[in-house]
Amino acid sequence: MAFAPLDPVLHNQLRLAVVSVLVSVEEADFTFLLERTGATRGNLSVQITKLKEAGYVQVKKRFKDNYPNTMCALTPKGVQAFEAYVRSIKPYLER
Amino acid sequence: MENDMTPTQSLKVIEEMIAQAKRSFHRQSYYFMLWGVLLIAAMLFNYVMALRGSTIGGYAWPVMGVVGGVLSFLHGAREGRSKPVTTPMDRVIMWLWMAFVVTLLLTILSSASSGQAMPLASIIVLTGLPTFVTGQLMRFRPLVFGGILFWVLGAVAYFVPISVTVWLFIAAIFFGYLVPGYLLKRQEDGVRPA
Repeated sequence: MAFAPLDPVLHNQLRLAVVSVLVSVEEADFTFLLERTGATRGNLSVQITKLKEAGYVQVKKRFKDNYPNTMCALTPKGVQAFEAYVRSIKPYLER
Repeated sequence: MENDMTPTQSLKVIEEMIAQAKRSFHRQSYYFMLWGVLLIAAMLFNYVMALRGSTIGGYAWPVMGVVGGVLSFLHGAREGRSKPVTTPMDRVIMWLWMAFVVTLLLTILSSASSGQAMPLASIIVLTGLPTFVTGQLMRFRPLVFGGILFWVLGAVAYFVPISVTVWLFIAAIFFGYLVPGYLLKRQEDGVRPA
C-alpha cells in the first residue's frame, strides 16, 4: 500500500493538538486551547494564525467582560483535512 | 524542522486532546440543586396546605416554575457569555432537558385541564429519563443512580396512597437531584475552580 504524504499544516504537534481539541468541541477560546495544549501564548498564536491562513480554523474576536477574547472553531475544510490526515497516518501505523 | 512527529506520536496527540475535550464544561450542578430545592419546597407547601384544608398550596407549582425558569435562564445566559468552550454534549444535555420540560408541562396542564388528579407517579417515572441519560452522558454515577431511583420510586408510587406518594416524591428529588447535584458541584469545583 502506498503511503500518502502527510498534510504539512497538520503534521506539527501543536497545530495537530489544536485541531484535535477543536474537532471534539464546537468552539473554544484561546485560554481554553492554551490550557489543553500546554503551549506558550506566542507559539499558540502563531500556530492558530497558520491554521487560519490554511482555511482550517475560523477565528472570531469578541469582548468578554471588557477584555478581548478569541474564539476558534474548525471550518468544514479543517474537518476534512483532519479526517484525511487520520486516514493518511493509518497505513504507517498498520505497517 | 518542526515536523518530526512519528505517526504513533501523531495518534497519541490526537487521542489525548480528544479525550480531554470530550466532556461537558458547563456547571450542570446548579440546575439540579436549584430545582431540587424548589421542587421539595413546592411539594411540602402544597402538602401542608392540603392537610390544613386549604387549596392555596396548588399555586406553589406555577410560582416555583416561574422562579426556577427565570433563575435557570439567568444562570444559562451568564454561563453562555463566559463559557470557554461549547461541546456537542452540552447541546444534547440542554435539549434533553428542554424536551423533558415540554413533556412535563403538557402532562401536567392536560391532566389539570381535563379534571384529572396530578399524575405524580408518572411525573416521578418521567423525571428518571433525563436524569439517567445526563448521568450516563457525563459518566457521573450518582446521577445514573438518581435516575434509577426516580424509576423505582415512581413505579412504587402507582400502588400507594397519595400521602405516601408525596414522601416518595420528596425522597426521589432529594436523593435523585439534590445529593447528586451537590456531589457534582464538588467535582466541578475540583475540575475548574469557581
